[in-house]
Amino acid sequence: MPKNQYIDPKSVRKPGMIEFRPVPVNQYNRTIKEERTRYSDDDLMRIYHDMRMIREFETMLNLIKIRGEYNGIAYNHPGPAHLSIGQEAAAVGMAYTLSVDDFIFGSHRSHGEILAKGLSAIHQLNDEQLSQIMRSHFNGATLRPVATDHKGSVKSLAVKFLLYGTLAEIFARKTGFNKGLGGSMHAFFTPFGVYPNNAIVGGSGDIAVGAALFKKVNRKKGIVVANIGDASMACGPVWEGISFATMDQFSELWDGDMKGGLPLIINIMNNQYGMGGQTCGETMGYGIAARIGAGVNEDQMHAERVDGYNPLAVIDAYVRKRKLIEEKRGPVLLDVLTYRYSGHSPSDASSYRSKEEVEAWEAADSIAWFGQELINEGIASEEVLQKVDEEITSIVSWALKLAIDDEVSPHMDMKNQPDLIGEMMFSNESIDRLEDRAPEVNHPMEENPRVKQLASKERFAFDVQGKPHSKIKNYVVRDGIFEAIIDRFYKDPTLIAYGEENRDWGGAFAVYRGLTEALPYHRLFNSPISEAAIVGTAIGYAMCGGRVVPEIMYCDFLGRAGDEVFNQLPKWQAMSGNVLKMPVVLRVSVGSKYGAQHSQDWTALAAHIPGLKVVFPVTPYDAKGLMNSALQGTDPVIFFESQRVYDMGELFHEEGVPEGYYEIPIGEPDVKRRGNDVTILSIGATLYRALEAADILSEKYNLSAEIIDARSLVPFNYQTVIDSVRKTGRIVVTGDASTRGSFLRELASTITELAFDYLDAPPVVVGSRNWITPAYELEEYFFPQASWIVDAIHQRILPLNGHQSSIDFSESAQLERNARGI
Amino acid sequence: MAEFVIMPRQGQSVETCILGQWYKEVGDTVKSGDLLFSYETDKAAFDEEAKSDGVLLAIFYNPGDEVPVLANIGLIGEAGEEFELPEQQSSAETPEASDEVAKVIEFSLDPDQGGDERIRISPLARNMAIKLGVDYTVLEGTGPQGRIIARDVESYSLNEKSYKTGRELYGPDEISPINKTESNILPENIVLRQEYDLKPLTNIRKLIAKSMHQSLQNSAQLTHHLSADARKLLSYRKKFKADFQTGKISENITINDMVCYAVIRSLKKFPQVNAHFMGDQMKIFRKVNLGFAVDTDRGLMVPALKDADDLSIGGLSNQLGKLADNCRKGNINPDLLNPEAASFTVSNLGNYGVEIFTPVINLPQTAILGVNTIIPRPMDLGDGVYGFVPMIGLSLTYDHRALDGGEATRFLSDIAREIENLVFVS
Repeated sequence: MPKNQYIDPKSVRKPGMIEFRPVPVNQYNRTIKEERTRYSDDDLMRIYHDMRMIREFETMLNLIKIRGEYNGIAYNHPGPAHLSIGQEAAAVGMAYTLSVDDFIFGSHRSHGEILAKGLSAIHQLNDEQLSQIMRSHFNGATLRPVATDHKGSVKSLAVKFLLYGTLAEIFARKTGFNKGLGGSMHAFFTPFGVYPNNAIVGGSGDIAVGAALFKKVNRKKGIVVANIGDASMACGPVWEGISFATMDQFSELWDGDMKGGLPLIINIMNNQYGMGGQTCGETMGYGIAARIGAGVNEDQMHAERVDGYNPLAVIDAYVRKRKLIEEKRGPVLLDVLTYRYSGHSPSDASSYRSKEEVEAWEAADSIAWFGQELINEGIASEEVLQKVDEEITSIVSWALKLAIDDEVSPHMDMKNQPDLIGEMMFSNESIDRLEDRAPEVNHPMEENPRVKQLASKERFAFDVQGKPHSKIKNYVVRDGIFEAIIDRFYKDPTLIAYGEENRDWGGAFAVYRGLTEALPYHRLFNSPISEAAIVGTAIGYAMCGGRVVPEIMYCDFLGRAGDEVFNQLPKWQAMSGNVLKMPVVLRVSVGSKYGAQHSQDWTALAAHIPGLKVVFPVTPYDAKGLMNSALQGTDPVIFFESQRVYDMGELFHEEGVPEGYYEIPIGEPDVKRRGNDVTILSIGATLYRALEAADILSEKYNLSAEIIDARSLVPFNYQTVIDSVRKTGRIVVTGDASTRGSFLRELASTITELAFDYLDAPPVVVGSRNWITPAYELEEYFFPQASWIVDAIHQRILPLNGHQSSIDFSESAQLERNARGI
Repeated sequence: MAEFVIMPRQGQSVETCILGQWYKEVGDTVKSGDLLFSYETDKAAFDEEAKSDGVLLAIFYNPGDEVPVLANIGLIGEAGEEFELPEQQSSAETPEASDEVAKVIEFSLDPDQGGDERIRISPLARNMAIKLGVDYTVLEGTGPQGRIIARDVESYSLNEKSYKTGRELYGPDEISPINKTESNILPENIVLRQEYDLKPLTNIRKLIAKSMHQSLQNSAQLTHHLSADARKLLSYRKKFKADFQTGKISENITINDMVCYAVIRSLKKFPQVNAHFMGDQMKIFRKVNLGFAVDTDRGLMVPALKDADDLSIGGLSNQLGKLADNCRKGNINPDLLNPEAASFTVSNLGNYGVEIFTPVINLPQTAILGVNTIIPRPMDLGDGVYGFVPMIGLSLTYDHRALDGGEATRFLSDIAREIENLVFVS
């Protein structure tokens, strides 16, 4: 909501018509004879070779899957193989003009794209660059098996390296491009500009946008291509990615050289089927996918349909579209028409299409046609082409033999190193800044109005006499988060932040107030209301080497970014074989007062997914220290905040919240108050209710409670809690999440296992009810209250003299509620 | 040559298919591309075409049979051709159902039933009772549902003679917590106050324990000690330190780096020490893969520096520093920690003032050098003049199975000579 953009009722209410320009469809019409002025004979032969290589590679996998052998070599591959037989011209045409600075992202059906882009990169790189790349990948682990017995040029070695690295990856071998942890649907190799392929349909539709954002914001060379399928155009995150990529602000509000569109091509590999659903005529309504561009922005995304059965038509389109992108008029949408003869996967009986249809496309096969054209033009004889084919068959056979040889291509040694994958889940690095250059800011930090204002705040909530300061004077939780973030903006030039109303407004809860003044548009901006794209683009941004703080406002909106948070963000570090890092700090705020869809604590969802770090600080000292740690690290952190306590001053850290930089290690719970009789372990803002409960226990029942604030959920050091339970023998676990399946239950169960012999009663969980969150007026019946904690102790742990309970924590009530599912 | 018809595999999860129908009968002529048979998986039904021309000579399965994928189900060849029947693969067997009945131990938790019913007691209270010698069967619990809890054992043990049951003490309906007075408020649970902490071994500790124990059990180790004149070492150290501080060199080259450098030079001359003892053969390394002991928070780590003999003193210092750093940060490549990764190991305790020690060999390596602190020792400076010279102690443990005393001594003396004659061109 920039003030400089005036929305004039007179102008927007005027009658008129939107006019669309025609969307070109298969307009390329040059013959190979005509194209010989643009391509040398060698170029044309290379195009044939690359298509043929992909065809043989995929055919080999198909035979391995359905017959268990290829060319006399037997192998059982239990994993997936989504093949692109028939789509080779589209892949080679796409990759032909791209340099290693251009990144491609793909889908589950991307073996062909990996090979096409890899072969194109090998053609462009010199021997020295290739040797360097091959030698340094996992210290030569992928190269070693290939280089043994290799005779010939470095380029031919690189081709073998590409085939072997991809195939070993598909077969889950340690020597694969990603140590075998990505596999067929996720294989990639960044030194050749091949970025992750994605097993979730449309998964690359927002991640690639983030990569383009990284290139733009950090002034990197190259463009980004998102290879996604025609059926993925129905996926919400793809639309969200497109919406994000075409925001007006790139051309309207971003300043100087930042003005202009993203260097991005959404490349629809349109094979006309989504599994068994036909996208034209059955499951979609666009008819021709290029039509989509017309509705997105005024440029219509420069959309057009290209005949992906002719590699030269695709190359022609890429040459023209790159020019537009260099003029900062991106992004571009291409609808590259193609067809797969192979099924969705080898278990697909193709019951949804006729034999005649498959045969008609096979009759128009791009490789056969292109080969015939080469012969007609006298560029190659039949014998020459046959020789190419034979060489390819031989090298693919070689690669298969090598990749299935357990001696040279072993799987990861999980037997002797059973925690090997565990050790790869997090990168655990500590890095001040991801690039060494001056961060772009609008003024020195000390001139920032918010920073100036904070200088006068009280950093401990009580004065020397122990009297509380007035609320307005306190340095509060939102200030702690702000201080850590602005500090990092002045340290790390790659850091950017965005989300809904992050700029101008300063975020819905005023955490970013003052940041707008400090930062240019491209480092802090408002995103569309597209949680999937907010998180998805952050993933792409981080993958390419940037640090980013996306914010999705309410915790309840996590579901809107479900795939991104649960399937993408946590997995890429390990799935890449630790090639990628994921320095993303996702800010998520747990609400209250706003009812059923704005008040839920979903920490358990985040904590359940391996690969995410999860923190939930609720004091200014912890908020600043944990945000500092999150921003210093290289792992994805889900940073939970609570709207109930943004205004809370520092009650615990008597020295006050330090003005300078400090870190609180993620994973360490904190004893907020010492006690001997019962331990209360809290997650989130319930800490303050636990403190009230401790006061009741001490005043009325002469029991001293030890209060531990979990602060982090993943990782979590149980030792602090076990030590406390050894002392007290009793524990209550409490927090705002609905009890069933909550992280509170996880804590209780683990504590029981680790401290069983020290327990005087089973740990008791006091969470929210398993209901919708009611209106604010009824919240005290839903969220845990101090009195509930006392009730639970009385009924389940230690009967208290004369205590009257308000909530039924009895075993029979627990049985009965569970039986009813509430 | 007849060709078998196989049951195709449709996806990896499919182990068997149901044969639908044969479109051809035995004896029929078959052309490649003809529909031959149908089959189904749990997901879908398929038609299979013939892959070769000829006559359907035999079929091995009938419609409705469950057939393992890739099994031969028929044969196509020339009419009258002789053929051998394949071994029949049995179709999936169903395991026999077990008729074992789960045993449930019945017991009542009702405190009022008395008798020999199971006693409800918290783990903490039971542990306290055992430790204090309290017969908890006589106690009456004051916890939820009459569970005996810690306070019941505690109050019994504090006042055994006048022990009253919880109900006598607190009344049947009104249960109050124990009255805390100055004397019985205990900062920690009196019974379970820890006399020790049980700490599970970390994985790295377990590994170290295993390999050290194995080393001493499975080899014939003994140690020779001698010392080398350290004057050159110390003067180079002084120079390197100054050069590093003024930025003339990029590495802060330490005494350890120089000792390692000397060791590598000696190893090149004594290949039998740069080796693994494999029982019936020796693996003599062509390159020096130098292992060196690094003390980390998580325990001892011995990373290997591959091809250490290719490095200059600066390179060596840099690489040793990097590896040690990786060990401490915990991001060391685990392959480098494998004892087989190194051909020889150096363990330096000189920094800690250790004067003499017997390092333990990292099997299958054949020896390990312990480096001790530098001590001034009297020495004949020539012409009958005696003075104190700083000497660095060297302790070589070797596996007598692989090396003899003479060889080991010659090697150790050579290291000393190398240390005494270090030359670095700046």
